[in-house]
Amino acid sequence: MDTILEARNLTKHYEDFSLRSVSLEVRRGSIAGFFGPNGAGKSTLVKLLAHQTPSHMGTIRVFGLSYADRERDIKNRIGYVPQEPPFYMDKTVRWTARFAAPYFARWDGGGFYGLLDQFKVNPLKKVKHLSGGQKKLLSIAFALSHGAELLILDEPTAGLDVVYRRALLDRLRAFVADGEKTVIVASHITDGLDEIAEDVSFLTDGRIVLHEDKDDLLSRWKWIHYKDGALPQAVEDRLTSVQRQPFGNRGLTGDFPAVRADLAPALAAGDAKVENASLEDILVSLIKGA
Amino acid sequence: MFIALSPSHPDPMYKQVTDQVKDAIAAGDLKPNERLPSVRELSEALNVSAITIKRAYQDLETEGYILTRAGLGSFVAEVDRDALRNRKLDELRTEMTRIVRTAAKFGIAAEDIVALTRQVEEQ
Repeated sequence: MDTILEARNLTKHYEDFSLRSVSLEVRRGSIAGFFGPNGAGKSTLVKLLAHQTPSHMGTIRVFGLSYADRERDIKNRIGYVPQEPPFYMDKTVRWTARFAAPYFARWDGGGFYGLLDQFKVNPLKKVKHLSGGQKKLLSIAFALSHGAELLILDEPTAGLDVVYRRALLDRLRAFVADGEKTVIVASHITDGLDEIAEDVSFLTDGRIVLHEDKDDLLSRWKWIHYKDGALPQAVEDRLTSVQRQPFGNRGLTGDFPAVRADLAPALAAGDAKVENASLEDILVSLIKGA
Repeated sequence: MFIALSPSHPDPMYKQVTDQVKDAIAAGDLKPNERLPSVRELSEALNVSAITIKRAYQDLETEGYILTRAGLGSFVAEVDRDALRNRKLDELRTEMTRIVRTAAKFGIAAEDIVALTRQVEEQ
């Protein structure tokens, strides 16, 4: 595996919250999604990864380099979009671009204005007159316009309507299409990014409770609908989130390949059915179980 | 009666309900004159809206599978089991067409499928 970013034992304490010894690896060419409930530590984690705030413990290597030695080099190769992009509100978009361009080693003005056009952001407008979603798109346009090899995005689709959300998701997919560039994104699962993420991590209470390739994850987790008494005990023992109802029960298994053979007779008899689980189902089940 | 609804199924929810009620009647799980769960009971159990179940029951009634008596509820009608059997046979014909065509594509003869059917039956 070609690792683009590696973090070990990251720890960050705030007064009322701690990120506790988080370790992770991100594959080059992937879209890695960090999901979790409000307050789980998603934002804290991506801030640490983008070196916007120092960690109290732990190490991060990006492109094989450490921020301590090569901060400037690394940041030139990263496009970071914070939850609340810090712009000068009284300045126009064009002024902002002129101001920011010299800070980037590989600024692509043509690409930047092309993106603004696609995102329908008027460069002559003052930043304070842009909607929340447009500010986000402006920040994303910056991130995509300086030859970054790694995007680190904090809830990039929040505040976007469905059309722009779709445009952004397509952009991100295109960004990683050559297999060289990588996206790290923190988001709510319902914001569409779970659709394009290939690697999924769930955070809750400052810890990563699950990290897995999305296809593997979704083939492991299934809903099983079943008649009372239709399942062997070995299968029933592996179900969580069980709902018992007069017209059929259902439970979630995170171990589908292991129960498949035991389940076969009930499936053949029509006394059980298997249904795909969503990432949301899995996340809720894990949080409840934690 | 066992009903399992699937949000990812190509058929809408109300259609999945009507099909599974028909199957339960055809298989004898639901007997003629047996009382069906109320709209509310079923919608709560299946976690869908009452409107979905109402629509399913209306369709079942229009097609003659159930009868609704005001204030009493819905009941399984005296249905012609042969007609239900034929309906199932039609479904199986569609499935068999797919199986036979797939088999042909891979050079598997109809006799082999017949043999396979016997094997499954003996299991």
